[in-house]
Amino acid sequence: MSTEYARNDWYVVADVNQLAAGQVVETRLLGQPLRVSGSPDAPLVTTADGTALPAQLRYDHIWTSPGADPRPLPDIAEAAERDRTFVPCGGVRVRCSPLRAVENFLDIAHFPFVHTGILGEEPHTEVAPYKVEIREDVDEVWATQIGFHQPQAAKSATEAIETRYEYRVPAPTTAVLYKTCPPKPEAWDVIAIFVQPLAENECIAWPWMALYDEVTPYADLVQFQQEIFLQDRSILENQKPTLLPLDPRLEIPTRCDLTSVVYRRWLKRKGATYGALTTAA
Amino acid sequence: MGVGVGVRMNSVAVGLSRDLAPKRVMRAVAYGHDLAVWRDGENGLHAWDNRCPHRGMRLSHGFVRGDRLACLYHGWQYRKDGGCAYIPAHPGLEPPETIRAQTYSVIEKSGVIWVSTGNDAQGVDTGPVSEPLRSLTFFCAEAIARAAFEDTPFAGNLPQVESTGRLVAGGHPVAVLANPVTESETLIHVLTSAGVGIAAKKALSRWCEAARSVAERQAA
Repeated sequence: MSTEYARNDWYVVADVNQLAAGQVVETRLLGQPLRVSGSPDAPLVTTADGTALPAQLRYDHIWTSPGADPRPLPDIAEAAERDRTFVPCGGVRVRCSPLRAVENFLDIAHFPFVHTGILGEEPHTEVAPYKVEIREDVDEVWATQIGFHQPQAAKSATEAIETRYEYRVPAPTTAVLYKTCPPKPEAWDVIAIFVQPLAENECIAWPWMALYDEVTPYADLVQFQQEIFLQDRSILENQKPTLLPLDPRLEIPTRCDLTSVVYRRWLKRKGATYGALTTAA
Repeated sequence: MGVGVGVRMNSVAVGLSRDLAPKRVMRAVAYGHDLAVWRDGENGLHAWDNRCPHRGMRLSHGFVRGDRLACLYHGWQYRKDGGCAYIPAHPGLEPPETIRAQTYSVIEKSGVIWVSTGNDAQGVDTGPVSEPLRSLTFFCAEAIARAAFEDTPFAGNLPQVESTGRLVAGGHPVAVLANPVTESETLIHVLTSAGVGIAAKKALSRWCEAARSVAERQAA
């Protein structure tokens, strides 16, 4: 286990609603206990010995980094678009590797089986070819030109549509999805997952949405996303091994797993191995 | 001592036949291996390593379609021989032979499902004592669990131990089968004979619980 790479990334440790409600959050990050307190505008993150870590409010969540030289927090430009509805969905604790949680977020082939009737349904199971690349200039994984039949792509969807998807992985535990906005097909809805690594085998997934939806009540938007993540949890807590294998011989991918294959390769290349199984088959 | 003591066993009792209906999957443990045990539509029984080779998902969460077991995660379907038959994301693709679930040898005997990690599962023939009474988990080692049945009185008297290893409790024949799940957890299956009436079965069931208390007190 190495936290060397991981220490210099930013992680969500609480959401804005917790601090706005005056909560003091006792949590963990990379195996170390942390306390999150203060207000949304002046958050305070401290370690067990009282040391203050850098803390900032971004995308309706409180972020921190335990490293001496943190890389920049990923920029999500849509967060500045005032006509969007921003939805922090709360945290879902999952007993799995933080990297498994991200990989599941990047996977579309499971929709008909795990999110039946919502994000997919039989017989619409086929995954058409799409593109995946590591964009070297920004050091991000991008998957584009993805299309999938979805019975209810979002809370705002009134009928099944052929949804377009693009995925972006700007950091090992941060992934952003751009998908067709049902009431505004020319625009993208943005759904991100910020994964807080409690330990190598335990994490909190913090979904966050930036949608064009002025109709659906906030509670219903959260409910929709939480239902999906709870369905994913039943998968994530039953994968063996718990850690994400980086040796390509340990799990057998097929064509539709290209995003996962490139994500694993990218992690390995960077040495981002916290939550990964690095031993050979 | 229960059935099987002194017999060189290559198989372990993972469950009762009646507890696994056709087209159902259950999780089981044999010799420390996590297993998916399932019945196809024709009542055929299969025991596999509990792991889809694709993304490591436990196959015990999967579902049976006809004579295939499908993984819950992506719906990959496996034939009875363990080979992958169908990948829903690519309906036109013939899955490579290399995608296989690992299979174990499994048989049914005396109303019990037996699994071997070798290639020739053999059950114990418990003769007329093959009416399933119940399965219980004991949080203790196997030896403690087995001994507890001999040390727990039934209606005031300790059970007799027969030369077959079976017990007679209150005049009722009993076979105790033990599956060591871990060092501190043992799955016990208790059989009796078909002629035992419902009131006696209830009494035997209470006696099994008493044996569990004895065993777990000793292990604590």
